[in-house]
Amino acid sequence: MIQLLKIEWLKIKNYNAFIILSSFFALGVVAVNYVAFSVYKNMISEVNAAKMMSSFSPYDFDRTWHTTSYFAGCILLLPGLLIIMLVTNEFTYRTHRQNIIDGWSRKQFIEVKIVLAIIAALASTALVILTALVFGLASGTSFSLEGFSFTGIFFLKALTYNMVALLISVLIRRTGFATGMFFIYMGFENFVSQLLDIWSIKLRRDNTIDLGSMGDYLPMNAADGLLTFPDNPVKSLARGVLPTDYTSVVMVLCAAYLVLFCWWSYNRIIKTDL
Amino acid sequence: MSILSVDNLCKNYGAVQALNGVTFSVPKGSVFGILGPNGSGKTTMLGIIMDILKPTAGSYTLFDTTPDENSRRKIGTFLETPNFYHYLSAVRNLKITAAIKQRGDEDILQVLETVNLTERKDSRFSTYSLGMKQRLAIASCLLGNPDVLIFDEPTNGLDPVGIAEIRELIKQLRQQGKTIIMASHLLDEVEKVCTHVAILKKGKLIAAGDVNEILANDDIVELGAPDMEKLKNIIGRLTGYNDIKEHDNLLQLFYPVGTTNLESINRYCFENGVVLNYMQLKKKSLESKFFELTN
Repeated sequence: MIQLLKIEWLKIKNYNAFIILSSFFALGVVAVNYVAFSVYKNMISEVNAAKMMSSFSPYDFDRTWHTTSYFAGCILLLPGLLIIMLVTNEFTYRTHRQNIIDGWSRKQFIEVKIVLAIIAALASTALVILTALVFGLASGTSFSLEGFSFTGIFFLKALTYNMVALLISVLIRRTGFATGMFFIYMGFENFVSQLLDIWSIKLRRDNTIDLGSMGDYLPMNAADGLLTFPDNPVKSLARGVLPTDYTSVVMVLCAAYLVLFCWWSYNRIIKTDL
Repeated sequence: MSILSVDNLCKNYGAVQALNGVTFSVPKGSVFGILGPNGSGKTTMLGIIMDILKPTAGSYTLFDTTPDENSRRKIGTFLETPNFYHYLSAVRNLKITAAIKQRGDEDILQVLETVNLTERKDSRFSTYSLGMKQRLAIASCLLGNPDVLIFDEPTNGLDPVGIAEIRELIKQLRQQGKTIIMASHLLDEVEKVCTHVAILKKGKLIAAGDVNEILANDDIVELGAPDMEKLKNIIGRLTGYNDIKEHDNLLQLFYPVGTTNLESINRYCFENGVVLNYMQLKKKSLESKFFELTN
């Protein structure tokens, strides 16, 4: 696998879109958190001036892990787009065929793409951990690992985005269509997720059945739901009405979706004409 | 040992039968032409052999073993179009090919020199002309000096000089003892460089074997003399040929392949009082044979 990854690196290290999108994401993670950090800092100093609440920052340890993960999660479509470009490029240039003609197996071709998606998610998570650490330290509180598990949920979310991107790329193959489909799917899933949340609340009200926030049972909303701030109005309403904790169900579903996407992408490459 | 052996290979695209029970084998050291008009299934067959297409039925072996990625690494293959990363230079693209083939980088410059791309070795692939792309694809096949090469329409898009260079290169590779499998719709190309041929039409194998056996059933000796009537008279008493025809004021004698003796024909005519002013040995043209076979 190391050998395969070295070859992938040869393909992408001089690819401008890779350099630009990765830099945008890295800068974006820092920038979006810096904006939030500054806004809270200024807001809190004013609130404090009025002595309405005690000193509080979302970037204090232990909150920084959650806050940074949440805000970085908002721009996860950038690594997703990167995966789409890297994978659909192979189809556009027909190098997926050439790689196999030259001596890769179909299995090696798709496996290295799956590993690439995992590495991109790991790298994004490493960036989030580093950013959280820096803002945590900048907030002047003492280091704590409490709430660190939110970076794990961020990893799950990043991986889900990348796997959806990989699957769409393998199924659609064309850069423009795949990118469009990625956005359409995201929008569509969010819409369905909202409907499911409303239905969940209705079920609870009319039949006293608590199935949790069913909107979180969809692929891209699963890890997202776990990462969402408790003070998000829709979520707090849903959680107020639906008290049962379905976190473990959502986690299992999230893992199941990841396995499904991997299996689907893998099968597509192994079994069809390239 | 057969380099490639294809057994009853079939491929359907919906209702269209792209390959229909094709069987043949490619002997070691041959230049094997796969000849057929556009859409006859040549590329489909090579695609199956390279595992980028799945056969509907049938099987094939490479180097007498069940094929896998290891057998593909031993073959330099250029299939249909030059496939490279557009944003990378020739050298960087070939580094990827060499790494996939698990070979070193040391012969990259040499293969680029072979196809006259040294000057443009650091230019992006996207800036190349069609002919240069084609030549880079051939350079990529030569990496690691493989014993077997597969070329699909290797001279497509090349100018006449480029075509001549590639043909010369194929001849050199053959002299080095390499086995070359070459798909082409150009009759002339196959006739000039191939030792063996398989002819495909609408996915069906029409004929396969030695070029001389498949493409030339007869040697044709064309004779001309100032007195054609007298020539006709004396040739009527000559033996050894299968058939005789008149064509463009010349006499055509059809001999079984390899049995023609021009010297004895010349001597026979001279001794019978006819001085020839035209004498030529011809193989039956590939084109006429091709049309005869495919129609």
